[in-house]
Amino acid sequence: MSEIEVLGLREIKKEVSTEERLITFYLNDELIGVNIKDVIKITKDMDITPVPKTKDYILGVMNLRGNIIPVVSLKKKFNLKGKDNLEHPMIVVVETDLGHIGITVDRVEGAININPEEIQPPPMNSIGIDPEFIDGVIMIEDSSGKKELLTLLNIKKIFRSENL
Amino acid sequence: MRLNFSDDMKEILEEFLIEADEILSGLDQDLIELEENPEDKDLLNKIFRGMHTLKGGAGFLGLTSVVEIAHKIEDIFNKLRNDELKLTSEMMDIIFEGVDKLKESIQMIKESEEIPDEEDIKGLLEKLESILSGGEILEAEVVNNGNLNEEESDLQFLEGVDEDIKNLIRQYPGKDLGEILEELILLPPDERPSIEVIEKLEKIISEGKDVKDLIKQKKEEPEQQPEVEGSKPVVKEDKPRANKKNELIKRKKTEKKEEVIRVDVERVEVLMNLVGELVLDRNRIVKLASGLETSCESTETIEELLDSITGMSRTVSDLQDAVMKLRMQPVKKVFSKFPRIVRDLAKKLNKKVNLVLEGEDTEIDRSILDKLEDPLIHLVRNAIDHGIESPEERIKAGKPEIGTVKLSAYQEGDRIIIAIEDDGKGIDVEKVKKKAVEKGLITPEQAENISDKEAFELLFMPGFSTAEQVSDVSGRGVGMDVVASTIHSLRGTIEVESELGEGTKFIMKLPLTVAIIRTLMVGANSRIFAIPLYSVVEIVRYEPDKVKNIGQFKSFMLRDEVYLLFSLNELFDMTDKKEKQFIVIVRVGEKNIAISVEELFGEEEIVIKPLGKLLENVQGIAGATITGDGKVVLIVDTNSLINDKKSQLVGVL
Repeated sequence: MSEIEVLGLREIKKEVSTEERLITFYLNDELIGVNIKDVIKITKDMDITPVPKTKDYILGVMNLRGNIIPVVSLKKKFNLKGKDNLEHPMIVVVETDLGHIGITVDRVEGAININPEEIQPPPMNSIGIDPEFIDGVIMIEDSSGKKELLTLLNIKKIFRSENL
Repeated sequence: MRLNFSDDMKEILEEFLIEADEILSGLDQDLIELEENPEDKDLLNKIFRGMHTLKGGAGFLGLTSVVEIAHKIEDIFNKLRNDELKLTSEMMDIIFEGVDKLKESIQMIKESEEIPDEEDIKGLLEKLESILSGGEILEAEVVNNGNLNEEESDLQFLEGVDEDIKNLIRQYPGKDLGEILEELILLPPDERPSIEVIEKLEKIISEGKDVKDLIKQKKEEPEQQPEVEGSKPVVKEDKPRANKKNELIKRKKTEKKEEVIRVDVERVEVLMNLVGELVLDRNRIVKLASGLETSCESTETIEELLDSITGMSRTVSDLQDAVMKLRMQPVKKVFSKFPRIVRDLAKKLNKKVNLVLEGEDTEIDRSILDKLEDPLIHLVRNAIDHGIESPEERIKAGKPEIGTVKLSAYQEGDRIIIAIEDDGKGIDVEKVKKKAVEKGLITPEQAENISDKEAFELLFMPGFSTAEQVSDVSGRGVGMDVVASTIHSLRGTIEVESELGEGTKFIMKLPLTVAIIRTLMVGANSRIFAIPLYSVVEIVRYEPDKVKNIGQFKSFMLRDEVYLLFSLNELFDMTDKKEKQFIVIVRVGEKNIAISVEELFGEEEIVIKPLGKLLENVQGIAGATITGDGKVVLIVDTNSLINDKKSQLVGVL
C-alpha cells in the first residue's frame, strides 16, 4: 500500500514539473521552437493580399475568421536564404504586442515538451538570426534517436515596434 | 489619499461618478452664462443645487476633499442667490479653480480610486473661504442699510482711512491686509502700485490693524444674521428643507433614468460589427438572388424567395440605421467645453471674445466625436491666438471691440459639417507663401503660380507654422498638419476660407459614421482596391489620345478641364502591367486628380476593418474589408496616397 502511495506521489511530482511546451517548425533546415502560449493558430493555403508601400518582409494581410491579420516573412525579416512558398503558405499565427501576426514557415513539425533547465545559451549567429531574439538552444532526440538542435525564438520580442 | 470600497459601495460609487459627471459637465457653461448675467436667480439656484447634490453623495462615500470643496462652493452660491455676496471676476476665477479641482478629483477616483490629499486642496479651500469671509463683511453692511442696492453695498470706511488703502481693499474683496500685500508684491512691476502705497499698507499692518478695523461695522456678529433675515436662511440651519428639496431632485432624476439605460460602449461595438457583417451578407444574397432571377425560370418558389429577400433586405437596412443611431451623440458633448476654453484664453491674452455655438444638437458617431476634440481645441486656440486682434487693434480697424468666434455644426446629406469661424485679421496669403518657400516646402516659382486656396492648403503641410513666435497658447508642437491628418484619418476633409482683415473659416466635412462606407471597386495589377465613393467625382473611359505629358507628370483632358494623371499602380509603387481601361477622377483637398485603373467592378458597401497595429500607418491605405468570398480588399485613402507627391504638385495645375 505504502509503496503505491509513494509511487503516486512521484508521478504527480513529475506532472507539475516546470516543463514548457513548444510548437516547432522549420525555417530552411533549422528547427525553430516558439512557446505554445504565443501561438494562436496554425493555418495553411491562405490567400495573402499584398499591401503596397510596406517593408519587404511584410507579405501582406490575410483573413482569419473575419479579422485581418498581417503576414510576415521571417526569412526576409532576418535576411535568411531561401524563399517563402507563397503558393501554398504554411502560416503560424502568433500573439504579439502589436496584435495577432502570421509568420510563414516551411514546415510545421509539431509540439514538444522541453525542460527549461536544459536550455543552453545561443551560439553566436548560429542560424543567421540576431541572438537578441533567441532565448537559447536545446538538444532534442526523436524516437529513432536522431539528435537535433532546436532554436528557441522569442516571438514577442521580434514584434515590438522598436525592433521593426 | 487612497480609497477602499466594498463591492456594494462600488456600485454606489459608480452611480455617484455618473451623477458627478453630469453635474460638472454642465457647470462650466452655467458659470460662463452666470458671468454675463450675475443676477440670474435660476442659474444660481441650479448651481447651488448641483453642488449640494455633489456634496451629499461625496459625503456618503467619505470623499472628504470633494465634500470640502463642494461645500465651500455651495456656501458661496447660497450667499450669491441670497444677495449676500456679489459676483466678481476674481471670485469667478477662484470658483473655476474649485470646479477644476472637483473634476480632477472625480477623474482621480475613476482612474486610481484616489482623492486629492488635504494638503493639496488647502490653498484652494483658503481662497474659497476668503470669498465667503469677504461676503460676511458685505453681508453685515447690507443688513445695516436694510437695502440691497448695489451702490449702497460698497464698503463704508471709517474716517481717516487713506484713499489708496480704501481702493486696495475694494480691489481685493475678502482678503486681509497681509494677503493684499502679498498680492501686490506678486504683481509684475509695471502693474504694482507705487512704493508709497505699499509702505502705507505695511505701516497699518505693523500697527496690528486689519480690514475690519478700517470699515464701519455696526453689526458685529454675522452669525445672527439668519434670525434678522428670517426669509433668507443660510443653508446650515435649513438642513431638513434642503434635504427634502434634494430628494425631490433625486426622484425626478430616477424617473428620467428609467427611460435611459447605460450600455457599455464595447457591447455597441460588437453589435455594430455584427450588423456590418449582416449588411455584407445581405448584399451578397441580393446579388445572388438577382442572378437566380435571370438564370432560372420563374417559379412560385423563386418568386416567394425573392419577396422574402426584399423584406429581409429592408429590415437589415433599418437595423443598420437603428444600431448606427446608438452610437450617435450630439456635438454638444464637445462644444460645451469651449465656453470655458475661450473665456480662459481670452483672459490670458487680454482679448475680448464672444463665442457663438450653433447646431449643438447635431449628432455624429461617438468615435468620430471623441477624436474631434483635440483638432477643434487647436483650431479655436488658433482663432483666438492668431485670428482675433487685441481690442485696441480692432477699434483701430473699425471693427467691434469684441471679437466673435463661431463654432457651428450641421448635417448635409451623409456628412456632418463643422465650421470654426472668426472675424479676426485673416490669413495673409503672401506671408504663407513666403514661409512655405523659406521652409523649403515649395519653390519660389511654385509660390508665384498658386491660387489663394492652394496657398491655404500649405498650412496643413507638415513643418509649417505661421506664428512668428511659438506662443504657449497655440504652439504646442502639434501643428495644423496634425489637425489635418486627424481629420483625414476620420475620412473627413478640411478646408480654409480666409479674407485678409475680415476673418478666417475652417470647414470640416466628416462622415456620419465610421464603420460602413460605400466604395468603388477597381482593379489594378489583377488586384482589387476599394476607393471610398465620397472622394470619387467622376468615372470615365480611358482614352490614350487625351493623355499628355506635362513636365514630369502626365495630364488627362476631360471636356475643358485638365487633370493630373497617375496610375493607381504608380501611386502604390507597383509596376504597370496591363492596359488602362478607366479613369477615376478623385477629389484630394482642393484638387481633382485623375487616377487610371485597369478594371472596374462597380459600387459596394463595405465594413472597414483595421489592418492591425503593425500596419497602422501605411500610406495610401485606410484599412481593409473582407468580401463575400472571404478575400481581403484594401481600401484606398486618396489623401495620404498622393501625400508624398503633394509638394511637387503645388501650382502645377
